[in-house]
Amino acid sequence: MKDQLEEIRRRALAELGDDAEAEVVENVRVRVLGRSGELTEIMRGMRDVAPAERPIIGKLVNDIKREVEARIEALQEHLRARQLERSLASARLDVTLPGVRIPRGHVHPVTRIMEEMLDILCGMGFEVEYTQDVEDDFHNFAALNFPPNHPARDMQDTFFLPGGMLLRTHTSNGQIRVLERRRPPLAVVCPGGCYRRDDLSVRAAPAFNQIEGFMIDRRGRITMSHLKGVLTEFAKEFFGETRVRFRGSFFPFTEPSAELDIYCLLCSGAGCAVCKYSGWTEVLGCGMIHPNVLRAVKLDPNEYQGFAFGMGVERTALMKLGIDDLRLFYENDVRFLGQFPSVAGGSR
Amino acid sequence: MKLPLSWLREFVQIDAPAREIADRLSAAGLVVENIEQVEPAFQGVVVAHVIEAGRHPNADRLSLCQVDAGSKGHFSVVCGAPNVHSGMKAALALVGARLAGADKGQHGDGVPRLENVPPLEAAVIRGVRSEGMLCSERELMLSTEHAGILELPADAPVGTDLADFLMLPDTVLDVEITPNRGDCLSIIGLAREVAAIFGLELNIPRPRRVRGKAASEALPRFSVEIAAPDLCPRYAALAMTRVKIGPSPILIRRRLELCGMRALNNVVDATNYVMIEMGQPLHAFDLEKISGGAIIVRRADGDREFTTLDNVRRELQSNDLLITDQQKPLAIAGVMGGLNSEVSDSTTTILLESAYFEPDTIARTSRRLQLHSEASYRFARGIDRAGQATALARVAELIASSAKARTAGELVDIEARPAPAREITFDLSVVETLTGASLAPAETRRRLNAIGARTRPAGRGMLTVVPPPWRGDLNEPADLAEEVVRLGGLDDIPSGLPPRTSTRAVANPARVFFKNTREIMLGAGLDEVRTLAFTAPADNQRFSGIAQGVEPVKVENPLSMELSELRLSLLPGLTAALRFNLNRQAAAFHAFEIGKVFMTRDGGAAESLVLSAISYGPYLIAEIGHKGIDGGFFSLKGILQSWADAMNIGSRLAFRTASPSEVPFLHPARAAEVVLDDERVGYIGELHPGEAMRLELNAPCAVTELDLAKFISYGFAPRETIELPPRFPAIRRDAALVLERDLPADSVIKAVREVAPPVLESVEVFDVYEGQGIAPGRKSVALACRYRAKDRTLTDEEVNRLHSAVVEHTLKRLGAELRQ
Repeated sequence: MKDQLEEIRRRALAELGDDAEAEVVENVRVRVLGRSGELTEIMRGMRDVAPAERPIIGKLVNDIKREVEARIEALQEHLRARQLERSLASARLDVTLPGVRIPRGHVHPVTRIMEEMLDILCGMGFEVEYTQDVEDDFHNFAALNFPPNHPARDMQDTFFLPGGMLLRTHTSNGQIRVLERRRPPLAVVCPGGCYRRDDLSVRAAPAFNQIEGFMIDRRGRITMSHLKGVLTEFAKEFFGETRVRFRGSFFPFTEPSAELDIYCLLCSGAGCAVCKYSGWTEVLGCGMIHPNVLRAVKLDPNEYQGFAFGMGVERTALMKLGIDDLRLFYENDVRFLGQFPSVAGGSR
Repeated sequence: MKLPLSWLREFVQIDAPAREIADRLSAAGLVVENIEQVEPAFQGVVVAHVIEAGRHPNADRLSLCQVDAGSKGHFSVVCGAPNVHSGMKAALALVGARLAGADKGQHGDGVPRLENVPPLEAAVIRGVRSEGMLCSERELMLSTEHAGILELPADAPVGTDLADFLMLPDTVLDVEITPNRGDCLSIIGLAREVAAIFGLELNIPRPRRVRGKAASEALPRFSVEIAAPDLCPRYAALAMTRVKIGPSPILIRRRLELCGMRALNNVVDATNYVMIEMGQPLHAFDLEKISGGAIIVRRADGDREFTTLDNVRRELQSNDLLITDQQKPLAIAGVMGGLNSEVSDSTTTILLESAYFEPDTIARTSRRLQLHSEASYRFARGIDRAGQATALARVAELIASSAKARTAGELVDIEARPAPAREITFDLSVVETLTGASLAPAETRRRLNAIGARTRPAGRGMLTVVPPPWRGDLNEPADLAEEVVRLGGLDDIPSGLPPRTSTRAVANPARVFFKNTREIMLGAGLDEVRTLAFTAPADNQRFSGIAQGVEPVKVENPLSMELSELRLSLLPGLTAALRFNLNRQAAAFHAFEIGKVFMTRDGGAAESLVLSAISYGPYLIAEIGHKGIDGGFFSLKGILQSWADAMNIGSRLAFRTASPSEVPFLHPARAAEVVLDDERVGYIGELHPGEAMRLELNAPCAVTELDLAKFISYGFAPRETIELPPRFPAIRRDAALVLERDLPADSVIKAVREVAPPVLESVEVFDVYEGQGIAPGRKSVALACRYRAKDRTLTDEEVNRLHSAVVEHTLKRLGAELRQ
């Protein structure tokens, strides 16, 4: 009997080699440990064993059972690991294939530049006010000290609408609209669309955007010196460290009037076609609000004074982006738009 | 305004380089746009005296001339020009000279470089040696004139280099003159600026006084009457006789040309010359054509039309100012003269006009007639209010010399309305109060004097300032402050930051709304576009926008028919952008725009802000091997819903089937009106197949447009109260209802809501099915109802009871049955 057991053990362990397949392992388990397996059979035949040998045989059976069980357990563990390994390999992804992108649009560069300008100006204490595009002569011209028939009106070729209305030629109407409902002290910027009779071309467009800004307080509190300071800060923040200069100029609604130049961004002052070899490019017009403008909104110029400025968004955007064709802003070519950020805010 | 520096230097001695003059003029508000260098197209040419012009021994048509070139020597020159004559001054090209003009044509079309032109050699012409060449204007490239040689003025100094005599090389500045500075539309005006800026002296020679000749000959008679003193306060006139019309001296012609004007004859050129020099436009009439010699300045009144000297018939309006005689109009005052009284080659007696016309009337007439002349340009900007007589004397001086004419009689100078006295009381501290610049009072006064103002002290820190008559733009202290800081190029103004204002800057809610809306649209995959507000009438008919039955706004002076109306909708722009991109191989286009649309409302133009979007082609690209999502009705609707959810008004935004007449450009079966709080605020749908075909689209294209007014007023308000997450589980019960195919799914939800118990947390459609197992004309709508109580776990029995009641009601309400 002992020999018989040793033979069962030897055979089982021989079959349960390291590379035994799952099927073989199962067969051995059933044959040796199963309900009518070899060890069960031996236990059933115990009554034929001499009582003295029974414990010895019994122990041997148990030892063999444990040993085979452990072996099977180990093999099964090994087999499961192999199986998992195989299934993992077959689930392999080509990680170089494209991901599923969440669609993102792109902000229009004119919006982006305009928002950036407004962010800087709001940071300097200006409030944003929106005003209307369809205007009357009073708010676009007369109140801004453009007398009828004055050649200054020819500087801005106007689109006229029925009923004596027109499309505003600048956002300066914002000064009048805002001052009709608010009193100084105030610091306001008015962004928006403007219209002038120019064909769409590399350098001009019949519709474009401007930002008008103005700051008014009691006489003597806001001077042209502050205008210089505010706009110099703005230019530095917007264009980066650059040299600026102010020149005398003329606008009917400011006195004194000035224009702000910055060092040409394209040639850095060396002189190029864009800056007409002067090294400077014009950025905006500005000045101290003309007494007649204050009078038009029933403010006494002896009591109040302030400055105003206006700048073209598209033109400035061209400069900042280093491109030279205004039409790109109106074509909406996705290959152009796609290069701008997917967020609406400015960069700061 | 062209400014030749040689001309400028007649009035101000300035040695500064052109670049510096340009920079400082620009800084003072007179922007120099260009600096042009003018070089002579010849070398080795001198002023010479033709002592004798005799016949060439061997050729009838040639002359053999003895020519004195002063220090350069004495030469024998063969000349073929018909106008060569003894005693004349001419341009002599010496042996070795180079003439770009003589060589023209041998180097193609361009002007040859002087150093590439072969030097002139002595030549034997018909057996006679010629030691040089007398030159035509064309050969010197001064003009295209080649009929004869250039005759120089009798006082031209013999032996002088011709380039020096012609003041070559020269530099011409192109100065942009702002509309307020009519006074700078002249050489003297700009010289005054240069003198003021550089602190130099201005020298303006006074023209000779006009003296009437004694009555040894019959003087031509004329009279002047100003019948419209409100439009013409001053009119000066002068007659000249024995005029010999001919070309002007070369210097005058050269200068006119440098200033961009064409030379015509010695009379007209002289008037133009003085206009450029002094800024006073002048006009010369043929006096013999003035009926009765009577000049009347009056309104057109009954005169309806007039032919200007450019031979164009002009329609007149009764308020236009005319110069007339007793019978007929002679000129549109300050704008253009008439064909009927023009100076011609046979003119011998002229009447010169030098007047002041009010800027407003000239601007109005010239703009209406679209007739802009050098004269009207200056009158409209305001000329010297007191310069008429001086200019007249100056032009008489020129014509006397260039046309051998004599003044006849006295200068007539009528001032029908004297200029109002202008005195500004100027508190010197205004400069600092207004600009922050602190200048010494003496310097402030110096600057004011330099621009021609008269100043006198008027008490402590005060000046009385009389602006010069050519500066109509100086009327109040702020104007004077500008002059003072402008002349310093604004450099006297320090840069400083304003004191903090007491008001707090408030964020603009509309701007916040736009920012957030953009953020959501960008996050939903839509590109932001910007399109023109102008559109074609056909586009407005096609895409009529949100409002019903409104008329578009027509532009009265459009750039073209294609841009002759203001848009009713953003769709013309968006569809054009779609087409633009498809033409450039784009496969998809998903975009939005926030912009204004315009309509006629209550007879006037009105504007409103809208959001519009377009979605075409692949939208959500799935992983490889899976199906993605194309842009369409539901993806676009989903974007609007997400946006509304972000505004916390998602449940108030509804979509109702639109009737095709409301939105004829949309697919009649795939269009909805968008409703906010029961008010129609826009539409959404697929483009009508006809539109899609016109745009050559081969897939559905979804569009939407919303009026933003109401949305902006709501803004992106956060929820007022925040609820705790539920503590008890929910129980879901589904039901599939078979109902009529045309009933919207929404009506099922509504029916459920009619009897919803408080514990019905949500109800939504999760499937719609038609086809096998469902009767034709009907569909199955599957609902998911979620029940939850706030204070306990619901039991199955309880939910089952509630749910069957809900379903029962819904079935009955909609004539539906449960799906088997």
